[in-house]
Amino acid sequence: MSELDADAIGARTPGRYGASPPQLVLAETIIEVAWNIQGDVAREAFADAVTNAFRVDLPATPNTSTRMNRIRALWLGPGSWLLVSGMGPPPLPFADFIAQRDTVNAAGGALFDVSASRIAFTLRGARAGPVLAKRCPLDFHARAFAPGRVAQSVFGHVNALFVRADDGAAFTVMVARSYARDVWQALCESAAVDGYEVAPPAPLE
Amino acid sequence: MTSMRLPAGGIVDRTRVLRFTFDGVTYEGHPGDTLASALLGNGVHLVGRSFKYHRPRGIYTAGVEEPNALVQLSRGPRTEPNVRATTQELYDGLVAASQNCWPSVRFDVGAVNDIVAPIIPAGFYYKTFMWPPTPKAWLRYEHAIRHAAGMGRASEASDPDRYEHQYAHCDVLVVGGGAAGLAAARAAAATGARVILCGEEPGWGGQLQGAKSAIDDILADRWIADALATLAAERDVTLLARTTAFGWYDGNLVGALERVADHLPTPAAHAPRQRLWKIRAREIVLATGAIERGIAYPGNDRPGTLLAGAAQCYVERFGVRPGTRALLFTSHDGAYDAAQALQAAGVEIAAIVDARPGALLTGAANVRAREMGMNVVADSTIAAARGRLRVKSVDIADRDGRRRRIDCDLVCVSGGANPAVHLFSQARGALRYDDAIAAYLPDASPMPIVAAGAVNGCFDLAAALDDGHRAGATAAVRCGFPRPTLESPRARPADVRAPLRPMWAVARGARGKAFVDLQNDVTVDDIALAAREGYQAVEHLKRYTTLGMGTDQGKTSNVIGLALMAEQLAVPIARVGTTTFRPPYTPVTLGAIPGGESGGHVEPTRYSAMHAWHAARGARFVNAGLWKRPHSYPRPGESEDDAANREARNVRSNVGLVDVSTLGKIELQGRDVVTLLNRMYCNRWDTLAVGRCRYGLMLRDDGMVMDDGTTSRLGPTHFLMTTTTVNAVKVMQQLEYLLQVEWPELEVYATSVTEQWAAAALSGPKARDVLARIVDIDVSNAACPFLAVADCRVATAAGPAAARLFRLSYSGELAYEIHVPADRGPALWEAVMAAGEASGIMPYGTEAMSTLRIEKGHIVVGTEADGRTTADDLGMGSLVNGGKWCIGKPLLGRAALTAPGRWQLVGLTAQDGATMPRAAKIVRDPDRAAPNPMEGHVTSWCFSPNLDRWIALALVADGRARHGETLWAVSPLAGVRVRVSVGPPCFIDPEGERLRV
Repeated sequence: MSELDADAIGARTPGRYGASPPQLVLAETIIEVAWNIQGDVAREAFADAVTNAFRVDLPATPNTSTRMNRIRALWLGPGSWLLVSGMGPPPLPFADFIAQRDTVNAAGGALFDVSASRIAFTLRGARAGPVLAKRCPLDFHARAFAPGRVAQSVFGHVNALFVRADDGAAFTVMVARSYARDVWQALCESAAVDGYEVAPPAPLE
Repeated sequence: MTSMRLPAGGIVDRTRVLRFTFDGVTYEGHPGDTLASALLGNGVHLVGRSFKYHRPRGIYTAGVEEPNALVQLSRGPRTEPNVRATTQELYDGLVAASQNCWPSVRFDVGAVNDIVAPIIPAGFYYKTFMWPPTPKAWLRYEHAIRHAAGMGRASEASDPDRYEHQYAHCDVLVVGGGAAGLAAARAAAATGARVILCGEEPGWGGQLQGAKSAIDDILADRWIADALATLAAERDVTLLARTTAFGWYDGNLVGALERVADHLPTPAAHAPRQRLWKIRAREIVLATGAIERGIAYPGNDRPGTLLAGAAQCYVERFGVRPGTRALLFTSHDGAYDAAQALQAAGVEIAAIVDARPGALLTGAANVRAREMGMNVVADSTIAAARGRLRVKSVDIADRDGRRRRIDCDLVCVSGGANPAVHLFSQARGALRYDDAIAAYLPDASPMPIVAAGAVNGCFDLAAALDDGHRAGATAAVRCGFPRPTLESPRARPADVRAPLRPMWAVARGARGKAFVDLQNDVTVDDIALAAREGYQAVEHLKRYTTLGMGTDQGKTSNVIGLALMAEQLAVPIARVGTTTFRPPYTPVTLGAIPGGESGGHVEPTRYSAMHAWHAARGARFVNAGLWKRPHSYPRPGESEDDAANREARNVRSNVGLVDVSTLGKIELQGRDVVTLLNRMYCNRWDTLAVGRCRYGLMLRDDGMVMDDGTTSRLGPTHFLMTTTTVNAVKVMQQLEYLLQVEWPELEVYATSVTEQWAAAALSGPKARDVLARIVDIDVSNAACPFLAVADCRVATAAGPAAARLFRLSYSGELAYEIHVPADRGPALWEAVMAAGEASGIMPYGTEAMSTLRIEKGHIVVGTEADGRTTADDLGMGSLVNGGKWCIGKPLLGRAALTAPGRWQLVGLTAQDGATMPRAAKIVRDPDRAAPNPMEGHVTSWCFSPNLDRWIALALVADGRARHGETLWAVSPLAGVRVRVSVGPPCFIDPEGERLRV
């Protein structure tokens, strides 16, 4: 780990940047699989088909997530969820997209593979919330944004999905891939005042 | 340069010395000083010249309400005008200069304005300088007047500082770090609520700093320190010092500016200079205190004239004697505390001139003053003050007008205090005029905001603490927290006070200028003038006289002004009212408003997955919406135009590869997708087979062409729609709107996949050869005909990549679009380029792509489809299916849209080897005198390397019937005219044989 100067804010190389000692850890978070599933969860046929096919229940409450083993289901909107997995080879339910799509279609829903469409970054540390709040108007306090909850807002001018880690000490930010460069730069600049450490990319937990 | 520093007392650190320069002279001060206190500590009072009359001016206050001591601050390459010396914290090496004077503050040529003052009263520019009555003469006068107006010099260099934004949320926001504010924050925090306390000063405690008061039986300074320590230890309490809450906005949103580094020579590495907070609070407690006001008398602007509370502040907080012999002028008891503090600091009290009758002066402070042997002169006023560069004496007059002169070098004036109700009023809070304090107090607000402390009329310490405590506790309770068991801080109850008598200005008839607004040089006579001229409404008074329009926003003058107007009109003050309070409360640096979003960061930039490859290959980039796209790939020594022509030529002779990842892509599933497509597009989709794609046009509600693209059928109920780059978001929004609002009964699910797929178009006669080398399916014409869609795998260096193959052509050549998941984009690109090397493959950019499509007569949304053209105008009328409804169909039937004479898409070829002019208009006869009727205009043009001449697409009246005709393309702006021949828009391979091979 090396100390680099102010000009290096935005670099991807693992190391310490900004103020010293660093208060945050920043890293890219690898999403292996992300499938958007849409349908009416109040319809039994659809809800059952999803539970059988993916072994996870879709959260009905807005801005929440559910988790079963290595699959997390994030609420995106009324009737839309993101099924994500980030560790190693895709879990069994993600093995055959076509088959799963046909199953969901038959139950009156839709399944889209959007695994490559988003890039994610994770900020870990007590200052993660306030740093994100430099460019996002959400309330990141634990009382307002509990662990496991999900929110969609903006980071700067870019649409972003925020997920609070289960241990409460980190936030993952997902943005469209084409904005990744700008968003990483903005995150680093926002974190520089507190000081941050860049860690190697790690899978989504 | 004498030292007026007291040996002890105050918050300054006398063990350390700071050096600073003012007007070229170096002085010493201490940490904790402001520039003003340090100057006073060195006996310097004269700090500038007034705005209009260039009168010598000195420091008047000790806070943000300062109207006089505005200095030019130099900070390395930066210079900042109108910095308030009373709030600028001193740092080592500070350099400042007086403003609005030349050649020096002691001798200023501009002082001639003071002599000609009678012809430049308020609003003079509406009545004088009118001769000769020509615009030219006025413009000359105006130039001179403008040059004379203005204060300070703006920096001409780029702002090198960083600014940042910070959103924050809390249950209770307490604005103001004085006694009431600290009490409120303490009470709210004790309930467990999330509290933000912001104060505009570097330290906490407001007037308590350095004061001898006691709270809870300990010295105020210690009580403050204890309270802060408790607050700082709470996880859910945020303390923001040096932070001014400058505005209240809808939904209890407060804008606050934190001066992170203005007290330092340069900001710390990585730290911003200033931080703009956007605080969303459930409840707000306003503890902003009250601002002292003076009394207008002739010569009340002499250097050495201060508000009494400010003089007390300099003594107690900064340990500085503002003079040696003081005269106080007041109409209430508050100034007596100042007299006591001054005398304790060794300042001789020449007299306390009290405008109230002696019989009234029975308050504890009055009695104490007389017991201390002070010369209290009741029922008297100041008739005049003398001393040009420093006050040296005043004439006081008694009730009968008898005068006598008193020598002094310091005048301290106090007419009372005005609660700082600015934010309260911005929050729709009503104000009511209170006769007892002769000031406006906050009444009720429909918003969750309350006032506490001096701003709420609680001027003494015990009342302010109690008021603050209750307000903080109540605010937290309203947020759902339990009432705190903590007790309110206690202080000694206030002394009995004699009643205040409102005195705004001394009796008329006294000669000399009596100033109301010191910063804008507005006098008592100006207000009378405004009343006489009919500008009697308070908003007219403000704008006619400029009262309250300076950088201090009339903090020490507004109420005096409106009270004097009330006297003029013989109405109660409450009837005159106040002007509208608007943010910001104090000036906000422009740089803080965009924060980090300036220059290249105003908008985000979007990069394709293959961007790094393009950049490494020397591509020149162009903006397409927010995306960066390669314009061309010039080789060393090659111009962009030559590169684009080379690339376009190569596509038609060999093969080229272009990055088309930016095109909008939307995936659709559901039982009713075909129905939706039929309604959104003008053509029919029922017959589209699985594994096929089709071109379509979307119309606007009014029948004009909105967007074009291709849609492919991936499965029985699974489709992929593409849109243009620029309209990707618009079409997606339109689609969401239609599905949610117009046709919620349709079972259609959609999601944007623009980002999911990186896409490249492989185009040219050798495209199949290249493709066959890397895909695992049969790409012969039989197996993969024109408009076929298939899944396949592409061999890349990192292993096979799942891909979608579309046999589409934008260039008119044999072509394929290859889509892979975006993370495999770079690998795909490298694989195709490697496979194509043997076939002479070249990458091509948007410029070559544009040339190729113009050669083929393909329309582009924005140029040909500019919102005024129908499908038929563009030669695609046959695409509009007659047998079904679609968006735009009803209005397409309007008579004017099918009438003869409509401008239709044609191709133009430049004759005589000429260059097609930019954005040319089409006319029959270029020599015809204006108005020369336009036959049409050029929509796109280029040099065609494949035809070796300049061509264009154009919209020409009845164009389709005029093939073979010769017209003129003219650019009146450039003075160019070119003969053009009209023909079909497709210049190359009109039968489309090349793309079906």
